[in-house]
Amino acid sequence: MERLLDFWYAYSATLAFGLVNSLFALSMYSVLSAGILSFTTVVFAAIGGFTAAQMMGTFGLPLWLAVLIAGLFGGLASAIIAAIFLKLETHWMALASLALILISRVVVLNTPSLTGGVMGMVVPVRASVLELAVLLAIVSLVFFRLHKSWYGLAIRAVREDAAAASTMGVSARQIQMIAFLISGVVGGLAGAALATTLQYISADTFYLGVAFTMIASTVLGGSFFWFGPIVGAFVFTALPTVTQAVLPEIQDIAKGIVLLVIMIYLPRGLIDPRARGLRNAARQRQNIAQAEFDAAKQLPRSTAGQAHD
Amino acid sequence: MTLFLEQLVNGVSLGSLYALFGIGFGLVFATLGVLNVAHGAYASWAAILGYFSVEYFGVPFPVAVAIGVLGGGLIAIAVDQIGFQPLRGRKTGMLGALITSIAFLIILDSLAGMATNHQSWAFPSSSFPSGMVDLGLIRVPQMQIIIIASTLICGGGIYLLIQKTQIGAAMRAVGWNPEAAALSGVNPQIVILLTAFLAGATSGLAGVLGGAATSNISYMLGEGLLLKGFAAVVVGGFDDVRGTVIAGIILGICEVFVAQYLSTTYRDGFTYVLLLTFLVARPRGLFGSRDFMRA
Repeated sequence: MERLLDFWYAYSATLAFGLVNSLFALSMYSVLSAGILSFTTVVFAAIGGFTAAQMMGTFGLPLWLAVLIAGLFGGLASAIIAAIFLKLETHWMALASLALILISRVVVLNTPSLTGGVMGMVVPVRASVLELAVLLAIVSLVFFRLHKSWYGLAIRAVREDAAAASTMGVSARQIQMIAFLISGVVGGLAGAALATTLQYISADTFYLGVAFTMIASTVLGGSFFWFGPIVGAFVFTALPTVTQAVLPEIQDIAKGIVLLVIMIYLPRGLIDPRARGLRNAARQRQNIAQAEFDAAKQLPRSTAGQAHD
Repeated sequence: MTLFLEQLVNGVSLGSLYALFGIGFGLVFATLGVLNVAHGAYASWAAILGYFSVEYFGVPFPVAVAIGVLGGGLIAIAVDQIGFQPLRGRKTGMLGALITSIAFLIILDSLAGMATNHQSWAFPSSSFPSGMVDLGLIRVPQMQIIIIASTLICGGGIYLLIQKTQIGAAMRAVGWNPEAAALSGVNPQIVILLTAFLAGATSGLAGVLGGAATSNISYMLGEGLLLKGFAAVVVGGFDDVRGTVIAGIILGICEVFVAQYLSTTYRDGFTYVLLLTFLVARPRGLFGSRDFMRA
């Protein structure tokens, strides 16, 4: 029991950050699964984070209400940004989203009345690991249901081939807009979760580091199924903690090397439904082949029996 | 008036650094289709290598610059061969190489942090040309003249290389369509290695010169250059070296003047708003060709 408590004290922070990073990665996954590479999640998270901090700090709202409003604001922001960004070609959109992150940092630094400016903001409420887990569970449930819905089918079609999808009556633009909205809401929630976990946010909290962490988590875990980003986020969060226990000097380097190795040898990520499908198909083929082989073995005996008659 | 002229020269030299750095970034994006966020790490490492060779071996400044440039180029080749080569021909698009370049950004930056002890260093002032040149109205630091001159020489040289020589034609061909280029007798491997080396070397040159001029050599050096160099490349147009040089210098002048006459808080904001405006309204940049669609 004592040991369990020690373990909890040592790793509950890692667990909390794993949960928060999962939300970030899911927000990224939402647009990525529609075939869009966009880092705007960081901007939605900044909006959500500072909204939640203001709601709790200035207006004294309870945690869940503040988180909800943060998600709402994130969604609102994504509607505006998506309306502009969806006109761009995909790779320009990726670059424009990076530019937007750079701008949002400057904006945060220069609006001290809203964000605390250079000083940052202290968040008075702390979310427990359980509350974060509940939040992630709710978001995961939504993604789980979406994956099985018509929207899930349509978004996979758009990602594989937008032109073919549009001939089937699926509007790529509309699907990508929905993907952006989901990304915005989840991004806002993720920002609020990060704010209530760190309890201090500033312009540097929502910057390129977060963008790189979440794209790495998403691709590491696999961007073809909603469970992938969650796995990736936990692996990517836990990795430095694990290497710190073994070789403290190289914890960041280990992170980079793992990313490199995964990308080169396992480019579709750790969780890949296609690989599972291929394995199943291979097993089925093997079973059929085995059955045919058995049948073939049986056959001569029976014919031999007939001949004997 | 003197202040205006001095700030103008400051702006041109700052912008030249952005341009020098951006040339390689744009070259890799246009020719190899890689958005390489590790490009800034080459500059950090070149500055660190240059600093170490001055500090521990006492080499003269030109040799230190050469070591930095060569080091930057070799690191770039290593990154390309380890990180990007396995992904070629695998249709991972921009995402795959972006991820491996993030991996190298993490690795190279933390190694650089370890090498410098997470501190900021500076070349000893006796080791590089730190004097002033009298130009009549104003006095200009020698380093600024060196930076502006090397940007113009490198920019012009690479422009001529790409537009007028056979190897440049091969580079443009690979950037347009690697398969078709290979079919018509271009060896893509040589083009890839040359592009990576040129990119790393120019980034390294910007790193060493910038590190000496600003007396600030640290593992963070590359990040600032990366963001501004990126802006210069987008504003100038990805596939045109001239555009990058002109846009870089314009950005540098704008930054210095915004900081001087408006407020230092708008300095970065101005550049990034310009960057976003160009991406949304005119993605091909000031000088980019209309049909540049790959990457």
